Amino acid sequence: MSNGALSVLGLCAVNVLLALLLAPLYEGILRKLRAVIHSRQGPPLTQSYLDLLKLLGKEDLRTSPGALYAFAPALTLASVLVLATLVPMGTAPPLGFAGDIIVIVYVAAVSAVLAILTAFASQSPYAFVGGSREMMLLLAVEPVVVVTLIVGAVNAGTLATGDIVTWHTANGPTISMVVASVALFLALQAQAGKLPFDIPEADQEIMGGPLVELSGARLALLRWALWAKQLVFAFLLVEIFVPWPSTGTYYIDLTLALAKVLLVLILVAVVDAVNPRLRVEQAMRYYARVAFVSLSALAFAVIGM
Amino acid sequence: MSVESDAAAQITQLLGGRIGASLLLVEQPQPDTLRFEIDPGAVRAAAKALVQDTPARYLITVGIDERPLDRGFAIVHLFSLDSEHLFLALDCAVDSENTRIDAITPIVPGANWAEREFRDAIGVEPEGHPDPRRLMLPDDWPEGVYPLRRDFRYDYHPPSAGNVRPVLREPPKGSSVIPMGPFFPTLEEPAHWRLFVEGEKIVGCDYRGFYNHRAIEKLGDSAMTYDKLPFLAERICGICGFIHSTCCCQALEKAIGIQAPARARYIRTIMLELERIHSHLLWLGIAAHIVGFETLLMQSWRIREPVMWLTEEISGNRKTYGMNCVGGLRRDIPADLTAKIQEVLLPVERELRAVRQAIVGDTTILARTKGVGVLTRQWAEQIAVVGPPARASGIAIDARVDHPYAAYDEVPARICVQEGSDIWARVVVRMDELEESLRLIRAATAAMPGGPIRTEIAEEIPPGRIGISVVEAPRGEAVHFVMTGGDNRPYRWRVRAPTYPNLQAVPAMVQGETVADVPITVGSLDPCFSCTERVEAVDIRNAKTRVYSREELLRMWQEKSAPGGER
Repeated sequence: MSNGALSVLGLCAVNVLLALLLAPLYEGILRKLRAVIHSRQGPPLTQSYLDLLKLLGKEDLRTSPGALYAFAPALTLASVLVLATLVPMGTAPPLGFAGDIIVIVYVAAVSAVLAILTAFASQSPYAFVGGSREMMLLLAVEPVVVVTLIVGAVNAGTLATGDIVTWHTANGPTISMVVASVALFLALQAQAGKLPFDIPEADQEIMGGPLVELSGARLALLRWALWAKQLVFAFLLVEIFVPWPSTGTYYIDLTLALAKVLLVLILVAVVDAVNPRLRVEQAMRYYARVAFVSLSALAFAVIGM
Repeated sequence: MSVESDAAAQITQLLGGRIGASLLLVEQPQPDTLRFEIDPGAVRAAAKALVQDTPARYLITVGIDERPLDRGFAIVHLFSLDSEHLFLALDCAVDSENTRIDAITPIVPGANWAEREFRDAIGVEPEGHPDPRRLMLPDDWPEGVYPLRRDFRYDYHPPSAGNVRPVLREPPKGSSVIPMGPFFPTLEEPAHWRLFVEGEKIVGCDYRGFYNHRAIEKLGDSAMTYDKLPFLAERICGICGFIHSTCCCQALEKAIGIQAPARARYIRTIMLELERIHSHLLWLGIAAHIVGFETLLMQSWRIREPVMWLTEEISGNRKTYGMNCVGGLRRDIPADLTAKIQEVLLPVERELRAVRQAIVGDTTILARTKGVGVLTRQWAEQIAVVGPPARASGIAIDARVDHPYAAYDEVPARICVQEGSDIWARVVVRMDELEESLRLIRAATAAMPGGPIRTEIAEEIPPGRIGISVVEAPRGEAVHFVMTGGDNRPYRWRVRAPTYPNLQAVPAMVQGETVADVPITVGSLDPCFSCTERVEAVDIRNAKTRVYSREELLRMWQEKSAPGGER
């Protein structure tokens, strides 16, 4: 095996491990932050790891014999990890190629669709409502993500994520990129499943929606997938739209990226803490407006601003 | 016939004109209570005259087994004529052999549950009732056993009948069912709504409740005595316990013909308003939690906490104060604590203003509450809804003003009314009431007279007297009716909690809404199921056929939870 292939594999492993191992820590930090806003003491930072460990050792109760229902949580986590290898984390994406931005869009959608399928396969009326809400929300948010990524592509004149980052680092901010980054940040709130858009789970209405009939290891895997997804999406946002300062040294760039991701997720958590939950059709109307914002960014990009 | 006021004479004349010779007797046992004995055949005409030709508002129906008094069964429909501060009682004697009476539900929709309840409890059939299903008895309760009849012993356990299910309506064609309950995250107590949905849209619903029966009314007239009754009443509800004990004491005081001393009435007012403050803050937190706004939940409960500490300092308990007794109070508020009340409430008031500003400016809260869970004024009046839901639909009723009790005649309350009829209007009404309660406490502590806190009851309490009392609970008006009996206990004690009428409005409120809105719509009523479901006799699992001891249960649990055990 050549040296290049080895380094690609190594970087893939690093990205996957970052997504897997840091996601619970970030979630722990967000939980602590939420507790402070609530005037609570809050759980220790390691609580999310402990939760996963506990759930992995718990009994797995199933409401349906289907294979899809059995494996969907694992597949969801796997799809998020594949996404991690396509997203730049401190350096160019390990599995980057000319056109990988289209693959990012598809893989991101796959992880959401798998969560929906888990819901439908569990044969619970609450999961069913949760699944259909997830689908509606996906239809509203996905266009925003696609258009903002296209803005980057149009600006840089390439469909490769790594090249977009390189272009943005070298050329500095443009109006279109700033507007697109705002739109993608607003989409992140729903992608991370945070209030006011945690509508598919809505504990108080449909008892967790897709999660309601999951238990034990499968619940742990789906939770883990959701936490990893918010981390990977935050990386996508900061690496493409806020790539500066870039030193070219991997470790420093990675540390900077981790700090920026933390800042972005803290903003997401603050919005989460000060908002009640919207109804799904209200959320769709909201993202229709955000889509309009992202389209205006695209218009700016097309005229070269 | 002895009728004192003009209004009473007018009502008497109206009823006499409508039902003629069927009006058998009119009496005014207390200045604020007018009792009509009527022929049961004329009950519908009489009820119609009251609700259509006067502003009378339906309260509740009491079914009494008077066979030991040689009078058959009594069905007493209670109404309130708020503008004249009068209670009206339509008392119908039902023959003990032919136990039927015309239902008034077709004319007074708010009587729906009450009429099903007296059918369940004493076995008088409301004829022409639109929905004659079982209401409060368990599904496996045997037919023909009526727990509130006098010959039914309070400790009798009928045999249970295994696998029975409630009679619930089937969904309309093309819709599916989403169950909310019997156990559900946003219901603090068991209650079962069967929501019929098309997609997420509600096209209908059905309800089965009364899972929390605790036999309180039965205990009150068979196992307890007058001096114990206020303590039992306080345990009707874990939130508005003082309201029920005050209401029970006031009803008994009226029946006996005594009045609590002025100081006791002021202290009752202060405690009632403290209870309203902590209950409304509790509600605000729960409502916020239902729409996922955990920060508001945590903050409003933090603001509430000093009020709980204050009541603990006054009474020894955060809740269930145990201060009330018939004739007054058992415990005074010392002077230094009176001063401290102001001190504790100042920061509460300041923080409440901040919370109010925060939620008024929150567009997401407005999006979730404005125009949602609408209860039109017309429906609210027909179902006889009370409390903040009624006031949020523009109906200016408040027991503190309509039937002044405690010290509310000297420290009058202001009625907080909104016209929005939606959840947001209910939020605003409660926020206004919080401010009003703070003002009332301040006024009451300033004007509180000295003197004794209890009126002694000098003589034996004679049987056959009635007393009706209302208290404005945070959730609405609570009604207690007592009829005194021999052996130092009431012959009949009827409690109507505010959630009882309010819950009946849920089907009208959720029609056409989405599943997402149902929890907050039900939550906007501030429902209290244990209050509503106080009447019943037996825990069905603990039937007489088999009573498990604690050790047996423990052993069974250990066997079941052992590896490979039966699940």
